[in-house]
Amino acid sequence: MCQATNGPSRVVTKKHRKFFERHLQLLPSSHQGHDVNRMAIIFYSISGLSIFDVNVSAKYGDHLGWMRKHYIKTVLDDTENTAISGFVGSLVMNIPHATTINLPNTLFALLSMIMLRDYEYFETILDKRSLARFVSKCQRPDRGSFVSCLDYKTNCGSSVDSDDLRFCYIAVAILYICGCRSKEDFDEYIDTEKLLGYIMSQQCYNGAFGAHNEPHSGYTSCALSTLALLSSLEKLSDKFKEDTITWLLHRQVSSHGCMKFESELNASYDQSDDGGFQGRENKFADTCYAFWCLNSLHLLTKDWKMLCQTELVTNYLLDRTQKTLTGGFSKNDEEDADLYHSCLGSAALALIEGKFNGELCIPQEIFNDFSKRCCF
Amino acid sequence: MEEYDYSDVKPLPIETDLQDELCRIMYTEDYKRLMGLARALISLNELSPRALQLTAEIIDVAPAFYTIWNYRFNIVRHMMSESEDTVLYLNKELDWLDEVTLNNPKNYQIWSYRQSLLKLHPSPSFKRELPILKLMIDDDSKNYHVWSYRKWCCLFFSDFQHELAYASDLIETDIYNNSAWTHRMFYWVNAKDVISKVELADELQFIMDKIQLVPQNISPWTYLRGFQELFHDRLQWDSKVVDFATTFIGDVLSLPIGSPEDLPEIESSYALEFLAYHWGADPCTRDNAVKAYSLLAIKYDPIRKNLWHHKINNLN
Repeated sequence: MCQATNGPSRVVTKKHRKFFERHLQLLPSSHQGHDVNRMAIIFYSISGLSIFDVNVSAKYGDHLGWMRKHYIKTVLDDTENTAISGFVGSLVMNIPHATTINLPNTLFALLSMIMLRDYEYFETILDKRSLARFVSKCQRPDRGSFVSCLDYKTNCGSSVDSDDLRFCYIAVAILYICGCRSKEDFDEYIDTEKLLGYIMSQQCYNGAFGAHNEPHSGYTSCALSTLALLSSLEKLSDKFKEDTITWLLHRQVSSHGCMKFESELNASYDQSDDGGFQGRENKFADTCYAFWCLNSLHLLTKDWKMLCQTELVTNYLLDRTQKTLTGGFSKNDEEDADLYHSCLGSAALALIEGKFNGELCIPQEIFNDFSKRCCF
Repeated sequence: MEEYDYSDVKPLPIETDLQDELCRIMYTEDYKRLMGLARALISLNELSPRALQLTAEIIDVAPAFYTIWNYRFNIVRHMMSESEDTVLYLNKELDWLDEVTLNNPKNYQIWSYRQSLLKLHPSPSFKRELPILKLMIDDDSKNYHVWSYRKWCCLFFSDFQHELAYASDLIETDIYNNSAWTHRMFYWVNAKDVISKVELADELQFIMDKIQLVPQNISPWTYLRGFQELFHDRLQWDSKVVDFATTFIGDVLSLPIGSPEDLPEIESSYALEFLAYHWGADPCTRDNAVKAYSLLAIKYDPIRKNLWHHKINNLN
């Protein structure tokens, strides 16, 4: 990041690099619970390192063979012998005679492979048609939304999984990486109209997106990124966009004006959160919501930086949740740094600098290079 | 816990210590043993009591293992059909799930698994769900998954009768609980067609009482605006609500806009914003809206000053 090269800086770049590197090395057994989603750990670490200008493809190129092993292709037991494919989050999940690939681990793996610049993989090994077919099978025909995995035996959309805006976003992002751009491209695999209908049904009355009218900045970012990847942001009404911008800017916590009255009564308010973003009304600020809110704002208006005074959120991140001793970022100032908040805190800063592709959550330069090299 | 014999199962051991592995995890022996067995049984799709027991042990160490929930569901569905009392069998499964839920408040697979069980149940009951919902909300009164699940139950059972009182209780405990406020809106949206004018008037009074108690609270102000918009065709409250909101902004509208120090404190920036929004919709009161936004920018909510200037530009 440019701050890091400008002499003395408040970003502890070297510490952050070490923090992310540590997560790719040997992990204690307390991480066993995350084993099945290990691809998430890899993605957050590699994305974090890429943000801090580490040449990850040189540093971790030796691991591509192991990464590729997570890609599993299954021929379905039907008359046409159609195949589906995707990634498991961990080799532990590679179980004979059971379909265990899922959407989040597939997206995390694909994005990690892009950052590791394994272009040969995208051009010659990855079977994009069967991958897209897997995505297609995760769509719920009744609602248009997506579940994250298939029944391990029947290969139909899992009946015990939830469907929400996160999985809609992940499904569309995977298809986008596979080369889908126009509505016709997406329509080849999914019912785009039905999906758009579902996304629209998650609009809340006061702006933003969420389940049953409780707006949430994480879901809002997922919904807006999905619409952006589908080139469908214009489907939103001007009033809804304006309400959403207003709602998002209200998530920036302030200790000034009338807001200071809340300090004595509101148990979820802290004056020191000034400048940071919260995920919902009357909640503490949290590092990850800086990213979800800023990404949403950036998709809605070109004036986003001016509207939210990005120096305030930068100060919040660098002075309150950045861990100058251990590296990384914490959720808030009371906890230790964790990988998820470290990745999203760094991503928020990179977005402000104009160096980040928020829709896909990887550095813009890496995405540009991928697009140039891999034209499907 | 019942002891089952797995000695005839040939485990599918997990591969460890691969040369080019990333994020290598120092597995415990117990984890390796459990996973080796689970992988073997899933692969064979063995639907048996001992497999059910094993899924519970796996969920204990790795609740995020999505396939294990799917596997457990298939076992339950199979064994239910073989059991003498389906209802009893599924209720036992729900009891087990209650315990797991208490230990894993942030896991979201639990809630969709629970939905699948209720859909499978011959005589599901909302009442049976209420204690676990209460415990989970008592533990974290803004847990998004739990609130979503409660709403799903209301829709699944077409039963909204307890919701307004429940939301009132939670607002009584914490007037800033936005989840409880949005739950009220969920209630009204679903009860929209059967609500009387008296009930609507009572609700308006409820909102105003809560604002009176704590004027600087975004949740009831947002709710008030949404509530007005939802029922705008039925009730003409504008003047009553506007008069009410005006009581929280003192006489700032009649003062000259000078430096922030010269302006008095007001009780609620949200009241001023609410009024600005209302005034902005009518050309006759647009000047008031411009002034209200300017006041927000200068003194009462300065972090959003560029938003307030943007609102003024929209008005012009």
